[in-house]
Amino acid sequence: MAQTGIPKLDEYLNGGIPKGKSLIYFNHPGVEGDVFGMQTLHHNLAKGVTCVYVTSSSNPETMKDQFSEFGWDIHQFDDKLIIIDAYSPLIGDLSNENYVVSDPESIDSMTEMMNRAMKEVPKGSIIMVGSLSTIMDLCGEENTLNAVKMWNKMALVRDHAIIYNFTAWPYEENTLNSMKDNIFNCVISVGGIAERVIFGQYFGVLKADWSEIEARSMLFRVLRPGGIKIYIPKILVTGPFNAGKSSLIHSLSTRAVSVDRLGTTIALDHGHIDHQGFSADIFGTPGQERFDPIIKMISGEAMGIFLVVDSTLPKDFVRAKQMLDITKGYGLPYIIVANKQDLPGALSVDEIRRHFNIPEDVPIIPTIATSKEGIFEAFEVLVEKITGGN
Amino acid sequence: MESYSLGIEKLDENINGIRTGSNIMIIGPPMSGKETIVNNIVYNGLNEGEAAVIVTTREPGESVVDWFSYNNLEIPIEHLGIVDCVTKTLGVPTSDTATIRRASSPVDLTGIGVKISQFLEDFWMKQNIQKTRLCINSLSTILMYSNIQTVFRFLHVFTGRVKASGALGIYVVEDGMHDEQAIATLKQLFDGVIEIRQESDIHYIRTTGMSQKPSDWYEYTIEGAKIVLKG
Repeated sequence: MAQTGIPKLDEYLNGGIPKGKSLIYFNHPGVEGDVFGMQTLHHNLAKGVTCVYVTSSSNPETMKDQFSEFGWDIHQFDDKLIIIDAYSPLIGDLSNENYVVSDPESIDSMTEMMNRAMKEVPKGSIIMVGSLSTIMDLCGEENTLNAVKMWNKMALVRDHAIIYNFTAWPYEENTLNSMKDNIFNCVISVGGIAERVIFGQYFGVLKADWSEIEARSMLFRVLRPGGIKIYIPKILVTGPFNAGKSSLIHSLSTRAVSVDRLGTTIALDHGHIDHQGFSADIFGTPGQERFDPIIKMISGEAMGIFLVVDSTLPKDFVRAKQMLDITKGYGLPYIIVANKQDLPGALSVDEIRRHFNIPEDVPIIPTIATSKEGIFEAFEVLVEKITGGN
Repeated sequence: MESYSLGIEKLDENINGIRTGSNIMIIGPPMSGKETIVNNIVYNGLNEGEAAVIVTTREPGESVVDWFSYNNLEIPIEHLGIVDCVTKTLGVPTSDTATIRRASSPVDLTGIGVKISQFLEDFWMKQNIQKTRLCINSLSTILMYSNIQTVFRFLHVFTGRVKASGALGIYVVEDGMHDEQAIATLKQLFDGVIEIRQESDIHYIRTTGMSQKPSDWYEYTIEGAKIVLKG
């Protein structure tokens, strides 16, 4: 079993990658997915495992230097790190490596070196393809996928774990789908939370055929030095006075604290939720206008927003919109929680949408926070909005 | 409505504001001062309180910064981000700075993409600047290392990001280096073109696609760091 060295991920994979299995880091453009492969490589070199690295978009020395950004000195493992150089010939440079792909634009030339290296290194090594997308760009989508199937077989025969870094540029849909579904034993999706710009990154296990896993996703940050660290996001709960924000937080949370006086929140509610593999810290702000600066302060660091309204009080919706506007400048995903649905005179979702005059794609979820009705659904919908459902 | 200007007076008058989220190609022959034109467009934005990201494929990041100081153009350096695709290919040991982040080579589109995204995020989320100019100088170098489909896919993603974030994208292309089909393919991604042509040592410039009619051709000269349009 080879570990990935990524926090939480080995746990999700029941310990790591079994011998002979293939794994792909399926990275959305613009997110730091490459670091996953690098961290896995460094982790295994440090444990004394022989690793083969295929470099396609930088020369071997530059590739090694990139690790130092994260505080990882891989030069010390030179005897355990075997490079397949598929870059130098591309730009007409000489290479000092033992394994050089003579023509990186020919998939047969790639396969020849892959096979030779996989045969010659000890069984149970780690094979890392630094940029499968670059290979695909040079050799074509179909050719590359056919070759990858062969490489995976070869790895299986030799007990190697084979790992790919891949940037999911807009290739043919068939190509991307078959990569997600059929070709690899395990697919880890690495994506970005984007509204106007990418402001958060997450990874999730899409598939791992050796273990029963539920879909999970985790937000992460890349530290220099340090590499990938799990990051617990903040979710903001806002809404008019007495809409039920504290009830929502307390009902959602495994643990929660409120600072209140005479039953109304005067500073902050704080809770923590762990639901379906997604954890978040939840912050609630008081509804009164004098506390508006707090909303502003927290929304700068939040990942998503619950706007809670009392479904029986349309006169408060103006205030609710105003509170939403305070946070909107940050371009965060939000949903509306239509609370107190059990009370007489509660408006329906459609009626509330009409009052708010908001786009159809903003979800409105009916809830009764005090009896936990609808609240986990609301959380799931917001998480889906945050991660784009990937 | 929010919009961008080039900072080149006669052209700006004709365009009357470039829509936010626009992607524009600058195409012209070698030695026609495209570098100066791009740097002017960047300088104009920085002057108006915007941010800028320059992807440099031909000279190291430091040289790009030096151009501004050499020409006595003061810029708020914290609003400028440079993605340097050159230095690491030279084999000199370097590290990133606050202004300059380095991709491993012009082939490393993944790395270039990550670094562009990081700057866009920093400017938007940390510095709260909502207008950014993204300049790729030049696409031609990137096309020397990767084929047209590859570059198209890369640009498809980033012209989309420019649109989503309301930025302004500027992409430099060397005229005469690529076949017409390649240029036509790329043009699909752009909202407008700044064209440069040369006739017996005289350079002319015009814009197309950014206003109802193409602008007139203006004769211009480069004087120091300035572009001077005649007529």
